[in-house]
Amino acid sequence: MEQYLVAFITGLTTGGLSCMAVQGGLLASSLAYQIEQDMLTAGNKKSKRVTRPKTALPIVLFLLAKLVAYTFLGLLLGLLGSVLTLNATLRAILLIAIGVFMVGNALRMFNVHPFFRIFAIEPPKFVTRYIRRTAKTNTDWFTPLFLGALTVLIPCGVTQAMMAVALATGDPLQGAALMFAFVLGTSPVFFLVAYLTTQIGARLEKWFMRFVAVVVLVLGLVSMNSGLNLMGSPLAFPSLTAAAQDAPATAFVPDTTDGTLVLNAENYGYSPSRLNAPAGVPLTLNVVTENTYSCSRAFLIPALGVEVILPETGVVPISIPAQPAGTVIPFTCSMGMYTGEIVFGD
Amino acid sequence: MIKRTFRVDGMTCPNCVMRVESIEDDLPGVKQVSASYQRGRMIVEFDETLVGEAEIFAAVKKAGYTAEAL
Repeated sequence: MEQYLVAFITGLTTGGLSCMAVQGGLLASSLAYQIEQDMLTAGNKKSKRVTRPKTALPIVLFLLAKLVAYTFLGLLLGLLGSVLTLNATLRAILLIAIGVFMVGNALRMFNVHPFFRIFAIEPPKFVTRYIRRTAKTNTDWFTPLFLGALTVLIPCGVTQAMMAVALATGDPLQGAALMFAFVLGTSPVFFLVAYLTTQIGARLEKWFMRFVAVVVLVLGLVSMNSGLNLMGSPLAFPSLTAAAQDAPATAFVPDTTDGTLVLNAENYGYSPSRLNAPAGVPLTLNVVTENTYSCSRAFLIPALGVEVILPETGVVPISIPAQPAGTVIPFTCSMGMYTGEIVFGD
Repeated sequence: MIKRTFRVDGMTCPNCVMRVESIEDDLPGVKQVSASYQRGRMIVEFDETLVGEAEIFAAVKKAGYTAEAL
């Protein structure tokens, strides 16, 4: 019972915000549809009142679908072991694809060109017809349900750590209960942030749709950048900004004398974010955690194929083979949110 | 029974598709409406002896959109 309580509290404290950063885009996309619909309805009624978007229901539906999807994932993890774990490359491709989808949707909302309508998700005809004829209710719930379920494909670092625990239970019911408790814990933060954002945004009236489009656009770019980080791509924003800066005027001073580099994985990123390493010799990178509960615990060096889940407190040594001078090896958390690099020089 | 394609303006998101298609529930003589937000079109299968294009356009207008012949 205690492990479920810990899972719930982890979700409530760190999981909510961490997941919001990764999955918030999908939620924003689903809310965007609802807001568009509300604006249209208000337009038809020629109402002069300020339109307050009815976003509470879609947010709840999104979170409900997410809860069900992750509970099911917990069940499968407990049942099937590591078969379902997505590797870093697949997650990166997924993040970039989601980023492209969101940017495309933002451009659609800006009415840039009818071409961008291809980014809109249209439910299959048989689904909409069935819903309409049987329930005779508003069907605006399809998109939040669908996108909420999609979050299962882009777990944040904290979620992945919890998935590893669910995997370790080796029991479908325990795995399901654990993921249920964790995702339930993340839900209040999701709801509050999303609901307050949309309600405050409603005051902007006619600018609100553009506001939503801008949010979706920014989150889409963040998602694409996370995917590029995860691939260790030189096109990722941190690599581009580093490349744009002038080379340091001071001489290269390695951060080690005995072949051991130390990197602290903290709750808000990696310190130092740049490690100077001597070229031509094999090294050991000691990644240190101390009461670390954030995404940074899921540590990756894409270029070396390193992917480890760090303990909450402890030291994990990672072997780094000898590299020529001038090599830059980026490292990142598993969702590409926190990044840094090892620079090799003489 | 004939099948015609019409242009539909005013659809701003996929949810609009469902509203446009709902006219098939309200208009006798209309067998099926298949709308596409992406193409801004709808294909209507209807019995021209029971319902005319003008009535279909009026029903679409009532739903909040504008339909016209291509």
